[in-house]
Amino acid sequence: MTFRDIAYKVFFIEILKGLALTLKVFFTKPVTIKYPHERRPVSPGFRGRHAMVRDPKTGKERCVACMKCAMVCPSQCIYIKYTGQEGESRHLVKYEIEAYRCIYCGYCVEVCPMNAIVLTEHYEYASYKREDNYFDKDRLLQNWDEHVRNIKADKYFNKFWRPLGIDIGRLPANKRDAVVEINDKRSD
Amino acid sequence: MEITEGQNIGLHTQELTLNMGPQHPATHGVLRLILEVDGEVVKNCIPHVGYLHRGVEKLAEYRAYPSVMPLTDRLDYISSMVNNIGYCIAVERLMGIEPPPRAKYIRTLLSELTRISSHLLWLATHALDIGAMTVFLYCFREREWLLELFEMLIGARLTVSYPRIGGVRCDVNREFLCNLKEFIKEFPDRIVQYETLIDQNRIWLKRTKGIGVISAEEAVRWGLTGATLRGSGVNYDVRKKMPYDAYDEIDFDIPLGSNGDVYDRYRCRMEEMRQSVKIIEQCLDRMPEGPILAEDAPDLDMNPRGHRMLDGEFSVWGAGLAFTDEFVTTPKGELYSAVEAPKGELGFYIVSDGTGRPYRMRLRSPSFIHASAIPRLCKGHYIADVIAVIGTIDIVMGECDR
Repeated sequence: MTFRDIAYKVFFIEILKGLALTLKVFFTKPVTIKYPHERRPVSPGFRGRHAMVRDPKTGKERCVACMKCAMVCPSQCIYIKYTGQEGESRHLVKYEIEAYRCIYCGYCVEVCPMNAIVLTEHYEYASYKREDNYFDKDRLLQNWDEHVRNIKADKYFNKFWRPLGIDIGRLPANKRDAVVEINDKRSD
Repeated sequence: MEITEGQNIGLHTQELTLNMGPQHPATHGVLRLILEVDGEVVKNCIPHVGYLHRGVEKLAEYRAYPSVMPLTDRLDYISSMVNNIGYCIAVERLMGIEPPPRAKYIRTLLSELTRISSHLLWLATHALDIGAMTVFLYCFREREWLLELFEMLIGARLTVSYPRIGGVRCDVNREFLCNLKEFIKEFPDRIVQYETLIDQNRIWLKRTKGIGVISAEEAVRWGLTGATLRGSGVNYDVRKKMPYDAYDEIDFDIPLGSNGDVYDRYRCRMEEMRQSVKIIEQCLDRMPEGPILAEDAPDLDMNPRGHRMLDGEFSVWGAGLAFTDEFVTTPKGELYSAVEAPKGELGFYIVSDGTGRPYRMRLRSPSFIHASAIPRLCKGHYIADVIAVIGTIDIVMGECDR
């Protein structure tokens, strides 16, 4: 055992070093935030509450009931009902998302050829009633209105509509210039 | 056994059976250990697993290949990126798809970021279990930074679902890269901070040195992998032995221990974090331009043109069952493919019958195999050391029970 080792042992050098570090950090800015009073900014493209895009031209949903979202959904939480025979255009009757089953992978947003469904950046939607997070078509449109109300810009783009770096030839036509105009805020 | 004074007057001592878990804060989830203790010394230990069983392997049989990927997030939920990548690599090898170089580099980069994030959580909880609370707080400070990076990239903090079969889902954005560069510049200093706190601390040394010792041969026989094996001095790392993604083009070292105790495994993981930073720097320097998705990569919906038409009254809560039976998309066969997850070797064994979904998917999860070694590691130690042993093998029950 060298002199150095003995000095370390007797004078608690390693513990004092640790204490010096904690004392130094004590005077730095805290990294925590007081959550309900202040909120951290959410990155664009955060996969939060579902919404159905209200088309600025028609004021209705864009879904054409192609069933692709229901097909890729890993937790099978999307329930769609439509009328219309093969060969005709389909009419959407029911579009429901059970948010409790959803695992927020964003596949439905990515696969939708009409940019009809979107996972918004809204993440505080806990509720006391179970039905509140069982989104039907109207509720999904309402979610969109609530989301749009907080957007300052006049356009909305979700990054899963046209993922960065994906070859544009792979995407359906509607996804190549996927931007929603939200110029009129009549919806609320 | 010695005859004690108590036995002479008709009293006797007996071993006590003690339940630790499944709701014990130090068992890292819902691990239940039945300890047979003689006083404070553990004579035997029986781990009970299965409290978090969700049937991921079975669920995978009812989903198309791309839809299985988000399930793998939920295996080892603190290093979900590596699970995703491991699954995608397995399916790519099955389908014969080669991801483009940029995608490979992005994946390598993110594997290492995940490794840092996972090791930070391991260090935090391990140190907290042993009694060093400051380390816990400091580790979570950096981990939060990493989770924010993931959020910038893909919009989720834990269950990222970032890669996809044949590449990645989206390219790295500039904001992410700027923040990442800042992180890797800062992070080596932060590792020094953790080491200042515990590396030479006499309490830490007393609690970790000589605890849970396992020799190299025995560690191999128990099937340990990852840092748990390398702490015993066995040079086995999937990244070196069976390189995947861009690991064969990158220069890094495999830190090895020698004694095979808790302290050596701790040193291994700390060095691994340094190596991860080195790998990330190289990835950033060498990352080529180009596409991020292979030409022949399947779409997310596996192109279900052949599936039967759904009528208007069709309930889609069975769509996964109905589709892809009629047309062949993947080659028939079976394969095993492994990646180096932060916990150890994570293997996917996929049997394909030619349809768009796996016929059988079996996971070789390191946590499950490491959990089986807990009795071996903690026999003869005190109850308090069981906590150190659980911490050192770094198990996550989500992966163990699947």
